[in-house]
Amino acid sequence: MNSLRLFWVFLRVSVLSELAYRANFFLQLFESLVDLGVALAGLAVVFSYTDTLGGWRPDEVLALVGVFFLVGGAIHLVIEPSMQRFIEAVSEGTLDFTLTKPADAQFLVSIQRVEIWKLTDLVLGTGLLVFALVRMGTHLGALQAAGFAVTLVAGGIIVYSFWLMLATLSFWFVRVENILVIFQSMYEAGRWPVSLYPRWLRFSLTFLVPVAFATTVPAQALSGRLTGRTLLGAGTLAALMLVVSRLVWRAGVRRYSGASA
Amino acid sequence: MPNDPAVRARDLRKVYVVAEREPGARAALRSLFHREKKKVPAVDGISFDLAPGEIVGFLGPNGAGKTTTLKMLSGLLHPTAGELSVLGHAPWKREKAFLRRITLVMGQRNQLVWDIPAADSFELNRAIYRIPSADFRALVDELTELLDLGPLLRKPVRNLSLGERMKCEIAAALLHRPQMVFLDEPTIGLDVTMQRRIRTFIAEYNRRTGATVLLTSHDMADVETLCKRVLIIHHGRLLFDGELAGLVRRFTEHKTIVVQLSDCAADLRPYGEVVSCAEGTATLRVPKANIAQVTERLLADLPVVDLTVADPPLEEVIERVFAQGAV
Amino acid sequence: MKGLVDIYRQQFKTTLASFLQYRAAIAIWMIGHILEPLIFLVVWSAVAASRGSEVGGFGAPDFAAYFIGMMLVNHATYTWIMYEFEYRIRHGSLSFALLRPLHPIHTDIVDNVSSKLITLPMMLLAAGFLAAVFKPAFHPVLWAVAAFVPAIFLAFLVRFLIEWTLALAAFWTTRVSAINQAYHVAALFLSGQVAPLALLPGPVRAVATVLPFRWTISFPLELLLGRLTPGQALAGFGAQLAWLALSLVLLRVVWRAGVRIYSAVGA
Repeated sequence: MNSLRLFWVFLRVSVLSELAYRANFFLQLFESLVDLGVALAGLAVVFSYTDTLGGWRPDEVLALVGVFFLVGGAIHLVIEPSMQRFIEAVSEGTLDFTLTKPADAQFLVSIQRVEIWKLTDLVLGTGLLVFALVRMGTHLGALQAAGFAVTLVAGGIIVYSFWLMLATLSFWFVRVENILVIFQSMYEAGRWPVSLYPRWLRFSLTFLVPVAFATTVPAQALSGRLTGRTLLGAGTLAALMLVVSRLVWRAGVRRYSGASA
Repeated sequence: MPNDPAVRARDLRKVYVVAEREPGARAALRSLFHREKKKVPAVDGISFDLAPGEIVGFLGPNGAGKTTTLKMLSGLLHPTAGELSVLGHAPWKREKAFLRRITLVMGQRNQLVWDIPAADSFELNRAIYRIPSADFRALVDELTELLDLGPLLRKPVRNLSLGERMKCEIAAALLHRPQMVFLDEPTIGLDVTMQRRIRTFIAEYNRRTGATVLLTSHDMADVETLCKRVLIIHHGRLLFDGELAGLVRRFTEHKTIVVQLSDCAADLRPYGEVVSCAEGTATLRVPKANIAQVTERLLADLPVVDLTVADPPLEEVIERVFAQGAV
Repeated sequence: MKGLVDIYRQQFKTTLASFLQYRAAIAIWMIGHILEPLIFLVVWSAVAASRGSEVGGFGAPDFAAYFIGMMLVNHATYTWIMYEFEYRIRHGSLSFALLRPLHPIHTDIVDNVSSKLITLPMMLLAAGFLAAVFKPAFHPVLWAVAAFVPAIFLAFLVRFLIEWTLALAAFWTTRVSAINQAYHVAALFLSGQVAPLALLPGPVRAVATVLPFRWTISFPLELLLGRLTPGQALAGFGAQLAWLALSLVLLRVVWRAGVRIYSAVGA
């Protein structure tokens, strides 16, 4: 319960921080719209030549792009800025402040920065998603909606755990700032259905850098492609990664404080 | 137990493993395949006690092991060997109960959030330390008064000067009334007035709350003003642990005589080592045993306008301690 | 002249040393450079498959050749200075550069080329791997391959000069990320990185031809893949040279103006 209160306080601090830079809202809106524009333009060019892409119809791919923006927005909202700040803090020595606070350091580190204007991505993504769903004419049954919710949350947890494990590498290696770029680069592949890619790439995007679970899987739920196996897999992987990332975190802190194994 | 030491360290050790590399392209390529490692003892078996309510200075040249020791005491580093207990806890376990009772202030490193007023960062700490609202208000007021924070709290931290920021940092660090305060170079980079203001505050805070304060600093004025007792560390070993006055007594065989003459023409070398002579003011270093004798001769032989006998500056004393320790 | 060569050599050594320090970072950057063309390769191959076998004259093997080639051409010509310049101004390192008796562009050129030379083996490896997987259709024509060499060199120069000039926007505003993003997006489409220019609608292609994007990336690639007639190639060189002249003038003008602002406001 105190965790919730802490999160609220951090959110408030971040919002107050950002409100000092009102121009950033318009800047962010511009960038998000440009980003969206590019995505849609790309889709337009591709679908001017064909009606299906690997079995996916244009509206379904549109929904996928919506999920892509939605999840991307969530990542840019809190996961990325917090992990970025964490890596900086390790090299600047200001992580020491966090470690001497009487609260769970992993939690503090994970919510410490909220880039509030990235909400535009979230909003645009949701808007696109709704638009695509309307065009698909699907009536989202309770089961489908639930499947979407579960896979979305599972995807979020998987992505968070992945980012945390990447960022924790800064306990072992110096100059890790660029490591987060791994996800950013690979995430771009999430704009298109992962089923398009050759097997080795599909594998990498599922099990090495969990992009598929963040974008394609929830989109599958919306277009009725979600299999029970995938749903179970997503849930299990989410729980597993949460545990593993916690263990990696603990090992990292022990390393940082020079505890012998 | 009220008489238990706040800090108890016995044969504390910390050994680092460092990678080394020669300069040059060939060595750089070689390092791709093989890393040279070396074991460096940063803290090499130190033992001391800190009594509750003491303000103790922790001195040593850069790389002597001060910061490493401080980090072990605050739980940030695991000691490699030895016993250590702070406020009855083993710091490296980082128990919440322990962390609630300590605080760390590092000069030139901020925990305050950059873009917002300090007051909002205070709120953050309030949530983290679970300070009850009523107490919180009273604490903020007290700290505002003692540190003269007034209008500063409403300005974004990035708009504050270094000194104002440091004051806010210190306030934020003390909101939860810790019983153990670690100060790592708190006055570094600050102007003289601000340094004095912060020293006064620390002394007053210590008086009011009885908190134990461990202070590392390169500034002798910090040490002289605040610390009755000092620990001197060099190459990871404790060279001295005791009263500051005792330090001066033990490690100096010389005193300084400052003489004001009408001019510098006279040759002062027979009286002692001439440190400097400019515009009629000469500084001499004279062995303690000879002070009375030399003073008498100076007054008798030369047209002395003014004469002062003083202990050598603390920097010099400390330097001597380091030099001896290195032997 | 000898002094410049010496400077270039020293800068290369410095770049090499820092690269060996940050080898993990390099590997990570490269992932993005390899993945992007790969993604579009796959997407367009899927489009070709859904249409039977080819789209607008491009079959799957043609797309493979196009995008693998794109990966290499983009690698040869890309710059990152527009992302760094604002940082330099903000942190005062530009002042140091201005105090030296050397135009800062030289250091950047060498740094750029050095890093590419160092990463070239890895890129070629990646290209080889992708070629093995996707089996591109590559039928080199001798004169075209020969012409490719000056074309890519010119393309690199023009792109570098233009993007360096663009980076100077930082003298006037801190909101460079918006400018950079808009440029990047335009470049994506108009240089043929999203789809071969031949597949884009007519008006878009026209814009790409008028702007430098076609000449800095698409043109050398088209040449290498043997998709141009000698006449078209010659015209292309003409366009490149014209842009070279234009970008040099632009650079001069903008740099002078920028430095004046910088020193007026306070270096």
